[in-house]
Amino acid sequence: MDFESTRTLAKLIAAGLAIGMGAVGPGIGVGMIGAGAMVALGRNPEARGPIMTNMILSIAFAEAVAIYALIVAILLIFVA
Amino acid sequence: MDNQEEKTSGSNSKKIAIAVGVILLFCTLISFVGSNVGALIFKSKPIGIFAVNPPHVVLPAEMPFPGVHLSNTMLTSFITIFILMLLFVSAGRKIKLVPSGLQNFVEFFYESLAGFIEDTAGTEYGRKFFPVCATIFLFVLFNGWLSLIPGFETIKFNGEPLLRNPNTDINVPMMLAVVSFCFVEYWGFKAQGLKYLKKFINVDSLIQGFKEMFSGRIKSGLNGIIMGLVSLFTGILEILSEFIRLVSFTFRLFGNMTAGMILVTVAIFLVPWVFPAVFYVMEAFFGFIQALIFSGLTLCFLVLAIMSHEEEAH
Repeated sequence: MDFESTRTLAKLIAAGLAIGMGAVGPGIGVGMIGAGAMVALGRNPEARGPIMTNMILSIAFAEAVAIYALIVAILLIFVA
Repeated sequence: MDNQEEKTSGSNSKKIAIAVGVILLFCTLISFVGSNVGALIFKSKPIGIFAVNPPHVVLPAEMPFPGVHLSNTMLTSFITIFILMLLFVSAGRKIKLVPSGLQNFVEFFYESLAGFIEDTAGTEYGRKFFPVCATIFLFVLFNGWLSLIPGFETIKFNGEPLLRNPNTDINVPMMLAVVSFCFVEYWGFKAQGLKYLKKFINVDSLIQGFKEMFSGRIKSGLNGIIMGLVSLFTGILEILSEFIRLVSFTFRLFGNMTAGMILVTVAIFLVPWVFPAVFYVMEAFFGFIQALIFSGLTLCFLVLAIMSHEEEAH
């Protein structure tokens, strides 16, 4: 195999691995945040406002890591 | 008599809903059969209007006008600023004590934003933080929502799209992150003076440890020195985290908006009719959430910056 096709092969495998393995952590994290919010809401349904606001904020933090993985994958395919 | 009329009008609207649903389903199915995906499955050629060109993603912003160094995202951000100015200035003319019409609508935005900011920052600092956070929120929000109007990315001038979501150009989120960073540092120094630097360069415990050691109590002195080294290291980590925040803000907004744009483009490529509406709704929702998160995180870091170190510990 010549160099160019090996390079394309490596790029595609790397992009797939980047987003595939990079989305596992944030997925679990967002699920745990949601579970914690549900438990808190069940214990104290009156505190719905602050619970929801803080949950959305924490989900954004966890989601950002998945976005970093997506950026790496996009960079690999379109720019590298 | 009343019951019968209710039943007919109720079943009428149900019939209309079912008819609309069937029409939409039919549109989706024929576009699915005729599109590129259908061509792969049924081994035929994509039919006429459903043969969409493959999505062509260009990450840097393009310059549509030859010779003029103006990118299409900058043009769209000018349009956003113009629309925001138009909205708020025309709502502010002839202010009445009991609002109505446009003033009422704008006051709803203002009150929700002000309430959100004063909840987190307290009344005194809430008013001072309001300009920064509200501007960032409205700018990111209107950037995102304006780019859902049909015509963005399809009106081409000189072969390049004329209008594009400014949040997908990496410069705009970077600029917003730098602005938010500058304001956090500014308010930190203004609220605490030079003591703000104590958060980063924390030599108090170290000096106290040395003092205790020289005054004879060696064991507690050594303890103090170790704690001092730990807090020095923590201070360096805080400096690092301030700068990492720049990168994280930029890529969170840029990544979400670019991923949304690519998702909508690919959805239109796959099944051109009706189906991309789902992704449109998701894009609208994500635009709002990202605006809220950007301004909310700026607000959180502003509040952390004005709190002094001792208050934070308790």
